[in-house]
Amino acid sequence: MTYHLALFILIIILALAAVMAKNMLFSALILSLVSVGVSLILFTFASPWAAVFELSVCAGLITALFISVINLMPKEKKLLNESRLKFTLLPVVLLIMAVISWIYIVPFFEYLSKHPHLSIHNYPLGQIIWKDRVFDLIGQICIFAAGVFAIKSLFARSINEQKSHKSQVTGHKF
Amino acid sequence: MTISLLAYLLIPLFSAVLIQFTSRYKKNLADIIANITLFAGFLNISHLIFNTAKTAKFSLPPMAQDTFTLLMIFMIYMVALAVSSFSSGFLTEEKNRHHFHSLILVSVSAMCGIVTAGDFFTLYIFVEALAITSLALIAFDKSKKGLKGAIKYFFLNFSGSLFILLAMAILLFTIGTFSFAGIQHLTDPAYGGHWPFQVVAAIILLLSGFLIKSGIFPFHIQTVAAKQGAYSPVSAFMAGTVTKIAGVYAVIKIAIIFNFFDLKLHEISETLMLIGAISILFGAAFAMRQKDFKKMLAYSSISQTGYIILAAGLATPLALLGAIFHIFNHASFKTILFLNEAGLKKNLNTSDMEKMGGLARSMPWTSWSFVIAFMSAAGLPPLSGFWSKFIIIIALWQGGAKGYAMMAIGASVLTLIHFIILQRKVFFGKISAIAKNAQEMPLPMLAPIIVLCIVILVSGILFPYFYACLIETGIKAIL
Repeated sequence: MTYHLALFILIIILALAAVMAKNMLFSALILSLVSVGVSLILFTFASPWAAVFELSVCAGLITALFISVINLMPKEKKLLNESRLKFTLLPVVLLIMAVISWIYIVPFFEYLSKHPHLSIHNYPLGQIIWKDRVFDLIGQICIFAAGVFAIKSLFARSINEQKSHKSQVTGHKF
Repeated sequence: MTISLLAYLLIPLFSAVLIQFTSRYKKNLADIIANITLFAGFLNISHLIFNTAKTAKFSLPPMAQDTFTLLMIFMIYMVALAVSSFSSGFLTEEKNRHHFHSLILVSVSAMCGIVTAGDFFTLYIFVEALAITSLALIAFDKSKKGLKGAIKYFFLNFSGSLFILLAMAILLFTIGTFSFAGIQHLTDPAYGGHWPFQVVAAIILLLSGFLIKSGIFPFHIQTVAAKQGAYSPVSAFMAGTVTKIAGVYAVIKIAIIFNFFDLKLHEISETLMLIGAISILFGAAFAMRQKDFKKMLAYSSISQTGYIILAAGLATPLALLGAIFHIFNHASFKTILFLNEAGLKKNLNTSDMEKMGGLARSMPWTSWSFVIAFMSAAGLPPLSGFWSKFIIIIALWQGGAKGYAMMAIGASVLTLIHFIILQRKVFFGKISAIAKNAQEMPLPMLAPIIVLCIVILVSGILFPYFYACLIETGIKAIL
């Protein structure tokens, strides 16, 4: 229980830090830590399938995409100039959401727990990834390749501009 | 020799990566690698489709291997090869051609993943991969229209994904599985009973999600904007396969898996038929009103997709067979029509039909290939489009939906009329000012169009043979 509570509090603090951060790269990295925390919670709640996909898609794939897009942006745009003060209201909003969830979500989950679900089998993680869901891993590789090529084609112009700028500075042809 | 379906998925993925490393400075190499990969896959699947026994026994757990899957892989490779080889001539001045080919190859890989998926979760993952590549392909030309189309596509498509995710969560909670085989086992008469309310809600959510992705009425805004804004070969790719595999294929699969035929879900089945019928009429009526060539083809595509959805809603074995054949036929004739439009646009720099005229004299191959494609779209014998529409109409009549059958015949006449008007405006009549200097498309662009015309003619004339062959090789087993 203490472990769960500590994890929940850590996730909330990290999520707030991700929103408040002015540096986009820092924000993306903190967000990936939030996903790691969420997947740890999912593991302990006997939902290894969800945990695996949270870890690989949100902490891995999405972070890689965020970082590659930020990398393509001009230096001055990587820092957010507007004030982040308005986001200090977030803890209040979170508190209200927590009260509402306590009233409505808890009974809903109690209702759902009456239905059969896959976590009761509680297979080991290795079996899920390498035996039962290996085709999904190919799907994830496909998503990753699609994401990388999509970014490369959508930002092709700025990549070329960066290269020509570098060649002007160094005198090398790219 | 045995061949695993996994190869159709992994080889294009590998080639897409290879292109990035080898074709940075020699753009022609991207054309060569992409075309060779797709041509080899096309030849391979052409052989395999009539020799299903040669499919490898090796496959991954949630993978499907049936004749429906093989036919879809054949269609994916056929359209991708046509678009890729056409683009080699179309995008000669495009500096980022290697990205274009990589995106096409990853799309092929994702679509093969969709049709070989054995459960809704795997299918969803590949559908999302396809959505990302489609988004990049629509915005590839960086035009304002392309970006606008991509944004509309993004918002509607990902709202569809949300429905699908929600449906999967409900399925997992209520019946404990989202595998196709598991659900089919539950629909077995021995299991009996009616579906609980939660499962019905999940089916509605699944259908809504996939109907949004198929771009059918009333979710047509995204597909029309995307097809109008994108590069013309991309529009051909989208209309020919992407929207069909990402949306329509899944709708047919749902009709088969949840066994709409046994009438336990007749309300959903009837609603699906109604949506299909409205789409047929809406698409045909709006196509007649368009002055823009591409927009007209986009609306016509909605009408043709309506036939498939109508048949999927009826869900009798014959109707599903008609729907499967119509997906294939639609892919061949719609790809020709969009590629013809691409050729005209490159030549005349416009897609306004009012400005065209008399092009048959300077572009005879384009003109006659257009005639073959539109006759197939209108369902005229002996072309391939006739047979699939004929099967759907017979199935509707046999299934007691005589009103829908009459409506389908009427809409076919409408399709024929609007294509004849288009043909007269664009290819016949007086030579317009901009058409005077028009030239026939070069061979690399014309060749895939002619090959697709041959596919339409051969599969139409020899349809009874193909029909018997596909039935024999096991298409019946999946219905």
